[in-house]
Amino acid sequence: MNGARRFFRRYIVSTVGILALFLAVNGLLILWVFAAGSRERIAETFSIKELSSHISCENGVWAADGAVSDLLEQQDAWAMILDETGAVVWERNLPENLPRRYTAAEVASFSRWYLEDYPVKVWGREDGCLTVAGFPPGTWVKYYYAVDRIYLDRLLLGVRLLFFVNLGMFLFFLLRNTRRVEKAVTPVLWGIQELAAGRFCRLEERGELGEVKAGLNRAADCLKKKDNTRAEWIRGVSHDIRTPLSMVLGYASELEENEALPPGARKQAGIIRFQGERMRSLVDSLNLTTRLEYALYPLRLERLDPVELGRQAVSGLLNGGLPERYKVEFSWLCPGETAGFTGDRDLLLRMLENLLGNCVAHNPQGCRIVLSVGLEKGRWVFLLSDDGTGMSRERLQAQNRGEDGFVSREGGGGEHGLGLKIVRQIARAHGGTVRLEPADPHGLTVRVELPAEGESR
Amino acid sequence: MKEKLILLVDDDRELLELLRSVFERAGYRRLLTAVSGREALELWREKKPDLIVLDVMMPGMDGFSVLREIRRGSRVPVLMLSARSEAEDRIAGLECGADDYLPKPFLPKELLLRVGAILWRAYPERHRTAKLAAATVDLERAEVRRGEERLPLTARELLLFEKLYENAGRIVTTGILCETVCGEFWQGYETTLSTHIRHLREKIEEHPSKPVSLVTVKGLGYRLNLKEEGL
Repeated sequence: MNGARRFFRRYIVSTVGILALFLAVNGLLILWVFAAGSRERIAETFSIKELSSHISCENGVWAADGAVSDLLEQQDAWAMILDETGAVVWERNLPENLPRRYTAAEVASFSRWYLEDYPVKVWGREDGCLTVAGFPPGTWVKYYYAVDRIYLDRLLLGVRLLFFVNLGMFLFFLLRNTRRVEKAVTPVLWGIQELAAGRFCRLEERGELGEVKAGLNRAADCLKKKDNTRAEWIRGVSHDIRTPLSMVLGYASELEENEALPPGARKQAGIIRFQGERMRSLVDSLNLTTRLEYALYPLRLERLDPVELGRQAVSGLLNGGLPERYKVEFSWLCPGETAGFTGDRDLLLRMLENLLGNCVAHNPQGCRIVLSVGLEKGRWVFLLSDDGTGMSRERLQAQNRGEDGFVSREGGGGEHGLGLKIVRQIARAHGGTVRLEPADPHGLTVRVELPAEGESR
Repeated sequence: MKEKLILLVDDDRELLELLRSVFERAGYRRLLTAVSGREALELWREKKPDLIVLDVMMPGMDGFSVLREIRRGSRVPVLMLSARSEAEDRIAGLECGADDYLPKPFLPKELLLRVGAILWRAYPERHRTAKLAAATVDLERAEVRRGEERLPLTARELLLFEKLYENAGRIVTTGILCETVCGEFWQGYETTLSTHIRHLREKIEEHPSKPVSLVTVKGLGYRLNLKEEGL
């Protein structure tokens, strides 16, 4: 779920980034266009003021220097000077069809618009005359725009408003659409994650992605069916093997205890009986681990006292007739401190029995085993330590990563290795964790933490 | 107990033969066998056995159906034997009224111990006495005999002693003992239990401060050591 959220957050950030980039690039392009255009403008290359400065009148005779011709030729332009009466007193390249005298109204008109289609520029000289420069028709455009101030202010405000409203709407719809996509896609992503983790979920087959969800549901059904088939197969095999195994165990025990038989034969019968018991243990473990794996084991939750559970597990081991080379102790960490706990009694006892049994099975030379139970930070802790052979660092790390090996400890050839897997499965079914650590100076410590009542599982 | 009439029911004739052999070797002489549920019911009606070892999965009428039929009119002890080992099967069996449920495969010794325990509970000896190092406890009269001295046991002391006696030689945890004397909600009763144990020791031990019959197993509970096996 976090991955999906992260994905959509990144999507939103990147889209806003794209928008910012879009605006920045557009701004730069507009600036560039204006800058490039202004470099090409006639106004930049031709100055009527400069032109006018190169024309002078001395003693009633008008004269222009060479720069005037250069300036006009560059623009293919013409020029004239009108005196106060509107008569042309000086001209250069002035088209023949243009009049040589202008009324005040004509001057006012062409200075704002055109003179016979010629766009013109005018400059009032200090001597009271008017310099007029004309350019070929179509080289530039003149327009007159008058607007009242209030309207212009509102127009500018409107432009700003338009920009920000557009930006706001864009962001709003972006977030809204992203949210909708997120809402539609998140269950699908969750379903995929659940399937990848081996859990089966049902998605509501509604909305635009209903078909995709239906497909995921079908995939989950298919996987569940396969798992159930596998679990049922194992259950069936374990069931079918029980009656023949009863006879193997029964007759082997009978032969082992038959004093009429020679000792060698009785010993062999004892080996058959022992191996039969191992097979029974394997079948039971296989059946249980399969049912826990595929969530086919209905938990029977009840209020329990974890300290008493620990006592019963240790007592069970001692009552089973443990050789004297094993020393088993039980301790209650922080006596008196307690908290409610709910769990499946049979499963939790099985978990502790597996752990205790592991200590015995993997340390045939004998060892000291201590089971401690107590509350730590609102969680029930079962701490099982032995001072036996322990486990290599690599195997410890593998076990803590949840990898299941079929030989769980060095030198422990007598076990099928499902014990620790079942312990982890039972702890997980109760919302707990299992951690293996090396004991000091040697041996193994298994730490099982289970949530007390009121703690979230 | 060995003279009790036991009915063995299983559709597998070879397993039935094994069961018969196991019981005969253990000294049980009065045995009946049935290979189907219907045959088991007929034998139960005719012979009135003292205990039935009943297989669950049988063609036709299964063990649960047989047990339900029996329970309509009898409380005869029944031990269910089944290849179905799951907890829910065990619970279903016990809910039907079985006295015990033993999943296959089983060891003959395991079966005999369970049958013995059921018979012991269902047909208690008239004069149950527990012989200890320094005293004898008469469970029927709820009194401790030390030579000529007679010391009565209180109701709770008797309950405690019976629980320990049923599990003689084995550790009985503090929780189980507390539950025995005050029911399901026993938390916080440990101190009172210690008081009952002290009183019990004062009656059955020669040196209550150095008990040899009712010993404390540190951190776990208590164990009753019999002078002779009472079972």
